[in-house]
Amino acid sequence: MKARFALLRNPALRHGGWPLLIVIALAGGQVMDDYQVTVAGTILIYAILGLGINIVVGYAGLLDLGFAAFFAIGAYTSGLLMLKLDWNFWLTLPAAVLAAAAAGVVIGYPTLRLRSDYLAIVTLGFGEIIRITVVNLDVTGGPNGLTGIPPVSVGGRQIVTPAGFFYLALAFFAVVLVLTGLLARTRLAYAWRAIRSDDTAAEAVGVPSRRVKLLAYVLGAAVGAVAGPLNAAQLGTVDPSSFTFLTSLMILLVVIIGGMGSRPGVMVGAIVIVALPEALRTVQEYRGLFFALLLIVIVILRPQGVWPARPRRFRLPARAPAEARPARAETGALLEVDGLTREFGGVTAVADLRLRAAAGQVVSVIGPNGAGKTTAFNCITGLIPPSSGTVALGGRRVRGLSPHRVAAAGLARTFQSIRLFEEMTVAENVLIGRFARDRALLRPPRRADLDAVRRCLDFVGLADAADRPAGGLPYGDRRRLEIARALAAEPRVLLLDEPAAGANPTEKRALMELIARISGLGTAVVLIEHDVALVMSISDRVTVLEHGRAIAEGPPAEIQADPRVIAAYLGVPDDPETDLVTEVLG
Amino acid sequence: MSEFVQYLVNGLTIGAFLALIALGYSMIYGVVRLINFAHGDVFMIGAFAGYGVLTTLGVTGGSAWPALLAAVVVGALTTGVVGTGIARAAYVPLLSSPRLALLISAIGVSLALEEGVKDLTHARFKSYPGVLDGGRIFSGTVRVTYGQLALVLLSVALMAGLWLFVTRTVTGTAMRALAMDRDAARLQGINVERLILVTFFVGSMLAGAAGVMYGLYYVQISFGMGFLIGLRAFTAAVLGGIGNLPGTMVAGVCIGLVQSFAAGYVSSRWTDVIIFGLLIAVLALRPTGLFGERVVERA
Ligand SMILES: Nc1ncnc2c1ncn2[C@@H]1O[C@H](COP(=O)(O)OP(=O)(O)OP(=O)(O)O)[C@@H](O)[C@H]1O
Ligand SMILES: [Mg+2]
Repeated sequence: MKARFALLRNPALRHGGWPLLIVIALAGGQVMDDYQVTVAGTILIYAILGLGINIVVGYAGLLDLGFAAFFAIGAYTSGLLMLKLDWNFWLTLPAAVLAAAAAGVVIGYPTLRLRSDYLAIVTLGFGEIIRITVVNLDVTGGPNGLTGIPPVSVGGRQIVTPAGFFYLALAFFAVVLVLTGLLARTRLAYAWRAIRSDDTAAEAVGVPSRRVKLLAYVLGAAVGAVAGPLNAAQLGTVDPSSFTFLTSLMILLVVIIGGMGSRPGVMVGAIVIVALPEALRTVQEYRGLFFALLLIVIVILRPQGVWPARPRRFRLPARAPAEARPARAETGALLEVDGLTREFGGVTAVADLRLRAAAGQVVSVIGPNGAGKTTAFNCITGLIPPSSGTVALGGRRVRGLSPHRVAAAGLARTFQSIRLFEEMTVAENVLIGRFARDRALLRPPRRADLDAVRRCLDFVGLADAADRPAGGLPYGDRRRLEIARALAAEPRVLLLDEPAAGANPTEKRALMELIARISGLGTAVVLIEHDVALVMSISDRVTVLEHGRAIAEGPPAEIQADPRVIAAYLGVPDDPETDLVTEVLG
Repeated sequence: MSEFVQYLVNGLTIGAFLALIALGYSMIYGVVRLINFAHGDVFMIGAFAGYGVLTTLGVTGGSAWPALLAAVVVGALTTGVVGTGIARAAYVPLLSSPRLALLISAIGVSLALEEGVKDLTHARFKSYPGVLDGGRIFSGTVRVTYGQLALVLLSVALMAGLWLFVTRTVTGTAMRALAMDRDAARLQGINVERLILVTFFVGSMLAGAAGVMYGLYYVQISFGMGFLIGLRAFTAAVLGGIGNLPGTMVAGVCIGLVQSFAAGYVSSRWTDVIIFGLLIAVLALRPTGLFGERVVERA
């Protein structure tokens, strides 16, 4: 078993796998009988559908239970254009893809703000809407569908034999395979995997998550739609009963069985989905039940699929060139927050907060639990809208912008509860941080991206772990990785939410040194921290929050002497931090 | 005018079933964050269980209130047990897996129930004996039967019972706490797994009762009846605001009315297009439903 998988990892096989498969298929077309070659053609159709839904579900993690709708739209568009307007098959193809892409916008747009579970019902409803509509309308042939679709001709020769159709399907499959392969290398594919892992965090570090999600629907639909005209050409008919919920489920199963985000997995899934029922033809009535049970067993026993996706290893530069950014001659306050207020129902979590941070400064925000520190960060970064107040970054107002735009304006952050993209590697996590600087989607990561990744990993000392999955890192490294991801944006202002939580004294010292180096780059650092000793030693200015209000603001020495601060801290005797406070302040 | 009143009455009757099923979706989502795809099929199982009771008792027609009540009770208990069993076997093992795994498992269970019943019934329709009292309350163009009234009253009684259970009992309160925050609930000493199973039991019972009522009202039942009804009920649960029980009840009745008016004034062929179109439109404008959710996502 092990040896077999080792063989699969062989680079020659890894890159030669697809061409080999195509060659085998070409040869196979010669020896298979009509029945086998028809089944093989159907496998290819499902593989194309699988490659389409793999974009939506596998990469972007957006559940789609109505994918057959795009299959149907492709088939009907092509069929109708051929029958009613006498279009040539090849001309209908782009029309079918465009129609499905438009449908992808229609279904994608309203669902962008939805909680992921609701996608299931909305996509399912959309699938039913399309199916019921084509059954009800006269122009689509009602329940009978379209019949008499002319055969495809290639170079003047009509494709009428099952073997001929198989080769046509193979050509389609090869094209789709190459295109999706190119897509899988783009920055967009990394962005998809990031939003699948944690869309809030992705948005916060600069990924335009709505656009990225919409693109998943559109591109997934466009790819899947290719199967429609192909199917119509194979059968000469378009039958509405082939686009039911069960079809959508089968298409979904292709990626679930194969492994989400894995293109070889899609091939395996398509073979299982199509060939297995053929093998089970003798027990026709129990097919459905068998499938249902298979589904449950697979999810419980092998949730990652039969052929799960393997991370692509980055070839990072051996040594990062020094940062190209000009030594910024920025002076004055980079971050200006005024009158920031946020209410939750009756609770005022942040009240009339004023905050300033200048280039190269470390500004700390302290205060007891529930004082409103994290809420203030969330309002500043646009994660939640403030009730009132202004936020300006280098003089530019950013309040009201979506988080990825705030990030692009130069504001990076980390989260109190570390939010990494767990299934992605360390290097990939940092790469996502680059979206704040460069939002290009449809090209592979550039040299500049890789240099930045290398530089940030070196900066925090994680370069050796570059290819490890982020989910497997020890706690301290996770904190540092989150900081590296934020630094990849080359931020002007960096907000750190309790980076030292849970760290031991050695780690805390290392962290302080890291923060000092970051501010040394000319970045303004705003730090939330409970460890008052650490805060006092590192900060240029400190703001003390209590019940959402700033009760004191000033340089550390002033704060330490402020009677209100002492009173506020000493007023909570059960707080574990109190001892520390008395130690430092007392 | 009389047409309008007729559709209104029919809509309210259908809405009563839908609300009962929708409540199950809503409660279950509250405690496990799962769209229980199998819920519509649990409803279908309830219809078949009730059918089994009536045929075993040899009820063939006429008024037979005790037999009807027995069918509802047995139907509800059967689905309660089935629902809990499903949760135990297919959902609880996946509680700590990604949410998608749980959902796929639910889809699998749904398909298994449908296909299982299909094989057992040889894909044939079954017909409930025409026992529901056909006596009219009004004589005139609008047809309102005592049977309809009884079904609506029974649904209202069940919903009131649920409301008392959720707000007045310790278990019900714990359930609401669980919907708010699973970890906090666990810290409060709540046995989360047991509570999840209790929720499945109660939610499935409501669906089962609705299944029997559906059979009594529409007469014909089949293995596939749960799919569309389940979707409509789930639509109601989402529109009402998941976890928001009063909102869900109101939305259930609304969907019933939409269904009835759409079938009456447009065409029953377009009913589901209208319902799902409405769902997509409402969610696009208000992502948390018409009346707001009562569940809390992680911060
Ligand atoms: N999404 C929310 N809905 C309702 N109330 C909230 C929400 N987020 C925060 N709060 C409330 O706002 C107040 C401030 O919370 P916040 O998380 O900002 O505190 P904090 O200072 O970061 O505390 P800690 O030191 O524990 O991280 C708290 O009373 C909290 O309960
Ligand atoms: Mg906090």
